[in-house]
Amino acid sequence: MSAPPPRRPPGGRLGRWALLLLAAPGVCYFAVFAYLPMAGLVVAFKDFNIREGIFGSPWNGLANFRYFFETGDAPRIVFNTLFLNGLFLAATLAWGLLLALMLNEIRLHLFKRVAQSVVFFPYFVSPIVISVMLQVLLAGVGGEGGALNDALSVLHLPEVSWYTEPGAWPWILTVVKVWQLGGYLSVIFLAAITAISPDVYEAGVIDGASRARMAFSITVPLLRPTAAVLLVLGIGRIFYGDFATIYAIVGDNGVLFSTTDVIDTYVFRALRSLGDFGTTAAVGLFQGLVGLVFVTAALIIQRRYARESSLL
Amino acid sequence: MSHPLTRRGFLGLTGGAGVAALLAMAGCGDDSAASSDTVRILVPGTVPPGWEAVSRKVNEKLKADTGLSLDVQFINWQNYQQQALLKFTSGETFDTALQALWLNMAQLQQDGALADLTAEVDKHQNLRATLDDRLIKANRWDGRLWGIPQVNSAGRCQHFAVRQDLADKLGFGEITDYDTLERFFYAVKQRGGGTIPYGHNSASGYLGVVPYPAGMFNVQSWQDPHTIARAFTGRGMFFVFAKDAAQTRASRPVPFWDDPGVLDAMRRVRRYYLDGIINKDATNADVDTVKSQWAAGKYAATWAMTDGTTSNVMPALTKAVPGAMVADIIPYGKGLNAKPNQTFQADNLVVVNANGGNVGNAMRLQDWVSVKENHDLLEYGIEGTDWKPVGEDRFEALTQYSSFPGYAVSWRASLERKASYMTESEERVFSWAQDYDNFTVDPFASFVPDNKPVEQQIAAMTTVITQYANPLYYGVVDVDPQLDKLKKAAAAAGVDKLLAEMEKQADAYLAKNA
Repeated sequence: MSAPPPRRPPGGRLGRWALLLLAAPGVCYFAVFAYLPMAGLVVAFKDFNIREGIFGSPWNGLANFRYFFETGDAPRIVFNTLFLNGLFLAATLAWGLLLALMLNEIRLHLFKRVAQSVVFFPYFVSPIVISVMLQVLLAGVGGEGGALNDALSVLHLPEVSWYTEPGAWPWILTVVKVWQLGGYLSVIFLAAITAISPDVYEAGVIDGASRARMAFSITVPLLRPTAAVLLVLGIGRIFYGDFATIYAIVGDNGVLFSTTDVIDTYVFRALRSLGDFGTTAAVGLFQGLVGLVFVTAALIIQRRYARESSLL
Repeated sequence: MSHPLTRRGFLGLTGGAGVAALLAMAGCGDDSAASSDTVRILVPGTVPPGWEAVSRKVNEKLKADTGLSLDVQFINWQNYQQQALLKFTSGETFDTALQALWLNMAQLQQDGALADLTAEVDKHQNLRATLDDRLIKANRWDGRLWGIPQVNSAGRCQHFAVRQDLADKLGFGEITDYDTLERFFYAVKQRGGGTIPYGHNSASGYLGVVPYPAGMFNVQSWQDPHTIARAFTGRGMFFVFAKDAAQTRASRPVPFWDDPGVLDAMRRVRRYYLDGIINKDATNADVDTVKSQWAAGKYAATWAMTDGTTSNVMPALTKAVPGAMVADIIPYGKGLNAKPNQTFQADNLVVVNANGGNVGNAMRLQDWVSVKENHDLLEYGIEGTDWKPVGEDRFEALTQYSSFPGYAVSWRASLERKASYMTESEERVFSWAQDYDNFTVDPFASFVPDNKPVEQQIAAMTTVITQYANPLYYGVVDVDPQLDKLKKAAAAAGVDKLLAEMEKQADAYLAKNA
């Protein structure tokens, strides 16, 4: 049996050139903005001096890495980064899926469209606005109360000084992320739901399945490939803290660092207050390498156990 | 014979083409600053309304007078520190930038990124005439001048801006001492109708407790404002020197938590926090938020500086609270005769980029803005359009242009005009602050510690301070257990080595400058 002839793009050689031309801006973009700046990573191995610049500064081996791990901050920020991102990933995926299932059940077309827009809207809200909203909700103007504390008072419960309670913040930030991303993810799941063949649901109806039964026994299993892709993408970024949201909300509030300081906020603060490019680049490189390990591991696991939805 | 392009070939070709294009663009970029007649300056803040017209006018006059033209790059305050530093490190072409010890000036100077301006000031008569000898002397580091100080007063003393209308209403009248001020705070809390007694922001909590020479809530420092705490970097680990260091020639620094005045201040701030005297969201409230709430009448007092800008709040405040009045209160034990210590080191300096900056052009611009007419044009805008003169030394703003950041290019103590709505109280304080004879020169006036020997400890302590000392500065945690945590973390971060190095360098400075 002979091998099948190689697939050719429609339009022959011209079509191939058209496709290549289409890809060119993307390739240029990644070459210039993703690969070229990697040359700057050498600063992680240098005793950086402003006048001599990145390439002129003297080498100092692994001193910057050693310094980061010797400060004692490393275990805390690595744990926070993984724990918070793990929470965000699990909660946003679960909520996005649930939201998609609920939206899918809405029969009134106009209401469905409006609901979709409403749940999608928080995705566009800037982290700064979110931080102000949260402040009003948790602390009020001048830290005198806040809507949540007002509600606690109504229930005769003691008020909480939220901005001095580090234990609560992983959960507060998770709620914020769910609010922010739940709608966005639900739209992705909804798009996948529309691709499910109506025949499958018809079979379910013939078998006497209820709407809920069909949602959990047909829709959810068929969304597994989409969820797996989102999970792999999320795991690939699990070592990257959500800098914008966390820094906008927590800022330099040291009381909350024990549970909220992640690699990105640590690097930003070190760079801002000390201009320490060597150590911050070392932390960034460490973050990138561990991120690479995570995404590779996730892909290998996915290829082994869910090959049909594997990205590579 | 044609060779089909492989996928790898395509990736290499397009990626390489992108990089080559980028390099070509960089090569074609305007790198003519060193030789051109354009002075490129970095300033913090947003573009003021009406800048386009003022810029045109400034450039017309500047060109006619000096042959130069001005290119101002505004960088949002929020990002200024990082962006300015990145521009130095990336070798971007510009001439001057705003720098100071509380930014990255020490690091830039130590890395050789700043041009030496020691011999430059005397070459420019207009500039020289507006800079006091004591100001120049104090801003020399080890005898060398690395930036042109931008000051609009001689002494910079933090103090309280207080709602005088509330003080009158609550029966306090003019407040002159800290005890009365504290009673006023508690009276506002009890009878102020929801007004928060003091609005604190998250940017500079240390100013509440550390002697600088007075800490806002450091009562001992108000009684004896003759010590200025020092740190290796702007907002890091502060040390307090012995009060008799100048006489004994021994600095004998102690960590700030071992200073009785600071310890008392931390306990006081904790009490204020629990009693609702300071806003409970201070750890997260940024400067602009507190400013806007102050202007909206939410606070009875807030932080102020002797730079003549306290009264700028008056138009907005009187709109929000008709009849409101603000007073500047400096509760020194000896009032305005206290002669508090000052380093006279400017909070704002214009530095020249040693890597591509044109020293001659930068200094000509500094000289040009030292002429009253030019100074007024750049700082207040076009006369008749943006402002009009009121008497000899006042101005009335007609537009919002006066938000131009003059402190980053044109502040000169002798040329500054007072706002027409400046309160009587601020006028008294501002005039007092403009006379060098009202202050005592600090024994460590031009001492700038060298960070190099203890870089790692400084970095480690900066994190420790943010995590463990900041909560103490705002009173959000109990003092004693938090102090234990702070001391433990500081010991692990190498505070002893920092202390020893600070003492060594400070003693050497005293010996050299005796």
